[in-house]
Amino acid sequence: MKTDFEPNSIQPQNQSRCCTFLIAEKCFAIDSDVVIEVLQKGAINNVPLASAAISGLLNLRGRIVPAIDLRTFLEFPLASSNIQQINLIVDIKNEWYCFLVDRLLDVRTYDSHQLTPPRNTSSDAITGVLPDTNHLIHFLSPEKILDGLLETKTKPLSVG
Amino acid sequence: MADNEEFIAEFLIEASENLDQLDQDLVALEKQPDNPDRLGSIFRTVHTIKGTCGFFGFTKLSALSHHGEHLLGLLRDGKLKFNNQLASLLLELVDAIRVFLSSIESTGTEGDVAFPELCQQLDAACVLTDTATSDQVKEPTSSPTNDVDQGTRDIQDTSLNAAPPPKTERSSPAEITLPETDSLDRTPSTKAELRNENIRSASSLDATIRVDVQLLDTIVDLVGELVLARNHLRTTVTDEPSLVDAVNRIHTVTGELQEVAMKTRMAPVEQLFNKFPRIVRDVATACGKEVSLHIDGSDTELDRTLIEKIRDPLTHLIRNAIDHGIEPVHTRRAADKPSSGQISLRAFQESGQVTIEISDDGAGISVDAVRKKAVESGLLTNDATHDMSDERIFQFIFEPGFSTANAVTDISGRGVGMDVVRTNIESIGGTIDISSQRGVGTVVRVRIPLTLAIIPALIVSSGNERLAIPQSYIQELVALRENGKSHVIEGLEGSPVLRLRDRLIPVVYLDRWLGLRAWKERPTTGTVVVVKVDNHEFGLVVDAVTTAEDHTNHATETTGLWFIVVKAISSLLAPMGIYSGATVMGDGSVVLILDLRGITIAADIPAHTRRTADSQSSQTTSEEISQEGARYLVCETHRGHRVAVPLKQVQRLENFRASEVDPAGNLQFVKRNGELTQLIDPDRILHAPQLSSQSATNLSLVGVILPDELGRKALAVRRIIDVEAGHGQLEEVSKKNGVLGTLLIGDTATEILDISAASQWPGGSSVS
Repeated sequence: MKTDFEPNSIQPQNQSRCCTFLIAEKCFAIDSDVVIEVLQKGAINNVPLASAAISGLLNLRGRIVPAIDLRTFLEFPLASSNIQQINLIVDIKNEWYCFLVDRLLDVRTYDSHQLTPPRNTSSDAITGVLPDTNHLIHFLSPEKILDGLLETKTKPLSVG
Repeated sequence: MADNEEFIAEFLIEASENLDQLDQDLVALEKQPDNPDRLGSIFRTVHTIKGTCGFFGFTKLSALSHHGEHLLGLLRDGKLKFNNQLASLLLELVDAIRVFLSSIESTGTEGDVAFPELCQQLDAACVLTDTATSDQVKEPTSSPTNDVDQGTRDIQDTSLNAAPPPKTERSSPAEITLPETDSLDRTPSTKAELRNENIRSASSLDATIRVDVQLLDTIVDLVGELVLARNHLRTTVTDEPSLVDAVNRIHTVTGELQEVAMKTRMAPVEQLFNKFPRIVRDVATACGKEVSLHIDGSDTELDRTLIEKIRDPLTHLIRNAIDHGIEPVHTRRAADKPSSGQISLRAFQESGQVTIEISDDGAGISVDAVRKKAVESGLLTNDATHDMSDERIFQFIFEPGFSTANAVTDISGRGVGMDVVRTNIESIGGTIDISSQRGVGTVVRVRIPLTLAIIPALIVSSGNERLAIPQSYIQELVALRENGKSHVIEGLEGSPVLRLRDRLIPVVYLDRWLGLRAWKERPTTGTVVVVKVDNHEFGLVVDAVTTAEDHTNHATETTGLWFIVVKAISSLLAPMGIYSGATVMGDGSVVLILDLRGITIAADIPAHTRRTADSQSSQTTSEEISQEGARYLVCETHRGHRVAVPLKQVQRLENFRASEVDPAGNLQFVKRNGELTQLIDPDRILHAPQLSSQSATNLSLVGVILPDELGRKALAVRRIIDVEAGHGQLEEVSKKNGVLGTLLIGDTATEILDISAASQWPGGSSVS
């Protein structure tokens, strides 16, 4: 994704780049530095007993990458079948993960001073909100998403 | 500083290798004190470390090595005789340098540690020599000895440098330059020296280069990806001849490339074995024993990651061999053995595995002592031991806590930590066994796979999932068929078991356990994969075992084993403890590898499989009942009474719904597989029949099916409590028709039903 960004302007101070996308018609963003690539589709193999937001494992050129459905993680209703979700491959602490999002918007710059702390958000992973022309952009922290997933207990095991 | 960091990283790698070499050299030198080549090599190593440290500004380390170098210089020049004390001192120096290096590696600085005492000792050793060789040196040397307390500040360095001149005058010209390398204005000479050394070593080592391990791993990963792409290509290729040719060529080259890439993971066990002479020396000295170590086959190659994993187990085994195997000198002399004990470490490849043998010529282990201890610990019965081979009995040494303080003296201490050794070896898919002969010695054989990167595994399907089970855990496969003569799963309510020969093995339905599908949808046939993890034996019920596809390159054998490339799963999934890794199949799909050790814990599989009696007997006598330790199936009746039936007399268990029960007059039947089974209510045996209360219809019943000789009869109970052993004497006070008496089972007095009298039971009169 980094290469997609047009280096047409010199970034002023406090300017950062983020990658914005839609989940359930709401706009979200993550720091574009962590994004490695974007895939249209990919076969995802189920992981039994993993927490619900982990859709499964993706084979990315021999690398096994867990796919995280941000819809489920953010407690939105399941995606309808006509939405072809986009795979956003991200690098978090040298491990690769795949975030499933509904639609990719763009990579844009923003002024980190404009970020306001989130109010009444459903998830700890939302670290800030940025007002935009038509909607609010919710900033997600990839690390906090992982923390949230590690906290959720796996489904209880039944013996036999 | 980035450049510097790179150099420092290189220096650390080189220094730690050199220190390992020092360990070996010093131990070897102890045996051969007047080998000038070894002394020279030791001197050069310490000198290089000192010089490089000075160059990087690690003054403490530089000063410490300087003390050592000085002593070594005297040794090299024959001013001082090498002896065991000096060896210990120099080995201590090596350890101290290691402490510094690890601090530099982790923090980038030398840290707060200092070894003033060691410096003092090193200098004192020089003083001793000097006294011995020439008196004039006495005076000057006293000054550095006092100074070293404060250790390593630059001021002291200069004073140290100033002190030795009387000695250096007598030394070879090469040595004169050495103390000077500490001061910064002389660094060019240090550099030049380093360069010279590099040139020297380059000529002998230009056939090998140093490569970052991660780079190699990346190559292996990429080659794996290439193999998959190749497989894909082969399945989609057309009839175009030129394309077919190209694809075939790619196929061959990729195969070879994969083989070569896998070889880069391998390393000789030498790097591990080289640590042992030092360990043997230290342990032997600590135990006050004489031990010599013989190493064989150190060029045997093994996966790098495995070498690291067998370090601790092997060290433990070697320590054990010295501490408990080799006898004290006087005992050995009395037994007409050479006073120095022999430990031999041998590695060799054998049928796709690496075997490492640790043998000693010590006292050996007494089979009888182990057997006695095993019986005492309740691990096996006295009768059972007689059919067991010695090797099987020795396996008890690996039981947790087997050898304790009050253990038989012959093996006392021998087993401490051995369970950990076994666990470590087994966790990398290896095995360990012991053979020993009293008075002659002990041989411990460790067998480990060549690599963990590619493992043989069984791919099983359950529901719509495919999962891999590593072969190293698999004991056997058992086919399940409906109603046939083949094996069936019996339900001890909630905990199903498989009766396999004389054993009852707990089973886990993989689909139910992983929540893969609704219980109703599961097929009536399947396969039980019987696995063993340590002492836990259990069966995994799966739909089928998948055999390898033809068009992939996965090497397959007729056994249906796949050789799968193991990949780590994310730290997000590892804490689940159910999957140990994943692999990519020929079609690009991901298959999870089951972590059987984790499943054993998660599914709460009991250790040691229950044994059933070899033959079922319907004849129960009071004598048999009172036999200590006989096992009983303890059930709760519908009225909440606790009754027990000897486990020997239980054919199997079945679940019934109360709605399935057909009342026929005074009797109750249930229809299964077209046959009627008479249900007997234990409450009616215990008490006067109370017909009125037997009408609850939504109850589920567990039928304890009794032996066929009694006609098709089953005890209808509410639930199974447990299978437990009985204690003490059968109390016959409660004896009456249908009840043998009362026995303490677990901690509760329980009435034992008299199965042999079943036909006379109330409501149990013969059915025609």
